[in-house]
Amino acid sequence: MTFEAGLDIRLSLRNGAVEAVDIASTRLVQAAGLMAGRKPEQVTGLLPSLFALCGTAQGIAAARAFEAAAGWTAPPALEAARTVLLGVETLVEHASAILRDWPALLGEEPDLTALRPLRPLITASRHALFPSGGWATPGGGGLAPPPAALADLLRALAALRALDSEDAVPIRLMRHLAAQGLESFGASDIPLMPVGGPSDLEDRLAADRDGTYLARPDSQGRVYETGCLTRLAAYPTIAALRGRHGNSLAARFAARQVEIAEILRKLEDLAQDLTTAPTTTFSPAGTGAGIGLVEAARGLLVHRVELEEGVVRRYQILAPTEWNFHPDGPLVRGLRGAEATPDLHWRARVLAAALDPCVACSVEIAGHA
Amino acid sequence: MCMAIPSRITSIANGMATVEAFGRSRTTSLLLLADEVAVGDYVILGAGGNFAAEKVEPEQAAEALAYLADVLATGQA
Repeated sequence: MTFEAGLDIRLSLRNGAVEAVDIASTRLVQAAGLMAGRKPEQVTGLLPSLFALCGTAQGIAAARAFEAAAGWTAPPALEAARTVLLGVETLVEHASAILRDWPALLGEEPDLTALRPLRPLITASRHALFPSGGWATPGGGGLAPPPAALADLLRALAALRALDSEDAVPIRLMRHLAAQGLESFGASDIPLMPVGGPSDLEDRLAADRDGTYLARPDSQGRVYETGCLTRLAAYPTIAALRGRHGNSLAARFAARQVEIAEILRKLEDLAQDLTTAPTTTFSPAGTGAGIGLVEAARGLLVHRVELEEGVVRRYQILAPTEWNFHPDGPLVRGLRGAEATPDLHWRARVLAAALDPCVACSVEIAGHA
Repeated sequence: MCMAIPSRITSIANGMATVEAFGRSRTTSLLLLADEVAVGDYVILGAGGNFAAEKVEPEQAAEALAYLADVLATGQA
């Protein structure tokens, strides 16, 4: 394996339906283990480059894990700034899916012109709020947002409102699913992730010596779905869709679209309130353990660190894809038993896109009738 | 993990770049990049590899590649 990892989904058919769904993953779930032996600032410096496509979420999860290990709680101003940075990254990730990946589901070309100016906003948001560069530094790192920079950022992000229009990809995709009678496709009985993760999260991570939990997490045998749908489950239009179609294609795609509008609204509110954080009182733990949680674009991201005399002894990362693409998770349950229609391959691709893995994903159908 | 592998551009033609990492080459579209890039620059690719997502500074690329080399060497893959 020398390139980015991926997921291969294999559907086996029998008697006109999907009998089995196997997912082969080449994801490097234990790669963060090599952070051992480094100092906290080396870890928070390296992680955002290593996971450049979700670097903000990784950097902030790391900072929170180190803060938890020290028993330190971030002041509200710092938490607000982090919410802004995570919001910007989530917006860009959602827009990337909608403009680059969803058109292919409709047989259309991606809209690269609309997407191109968006990714630089992630870096711009970090510079805007933390001009001295310490956005991922445990304890803060010089939060000093100049109002003008934030206003520029919000103006650039406002372009995303166009994704709500009648002829934009999300609405057309939803209409297409409705026309095909596929709104309920991919519904699973997998419960949605509790806020803050499963109650045994920290204990299970601590006990996971061989990486089994990182590859196939569960909580007392139960697997959860995590992502936008989890975050917006109670939002009125999403709750109505779930009531009608279950945790299915319609609810998941709609949640992504609703979340864009919700984050834009939240960022405008936060921008009014953002202030310079008080001088930090954080002192890194010499020895201790802690976890850092982040709601990243694709769901719950968890970092756990064990520190010994200021050096990382153990480092673990649990990513949302391990829940959503678990061998007994929402993708597998959503496809098992599906009718072997001529467009099954497309349907499986659409469901994978709705659950949004953070790596490339292929679909293969074995045992064609 | 959705690790990003910084890949060095070895040639550019018609908006497509040939990039190399760990001795393997592939082609990727430069149409999504906001920055100008040239042969020798490092980029990371979006999921699936069809599009370069971001230009990466050489020091940052070197640091990430060193870590990834360790990951591969220790069989964490």
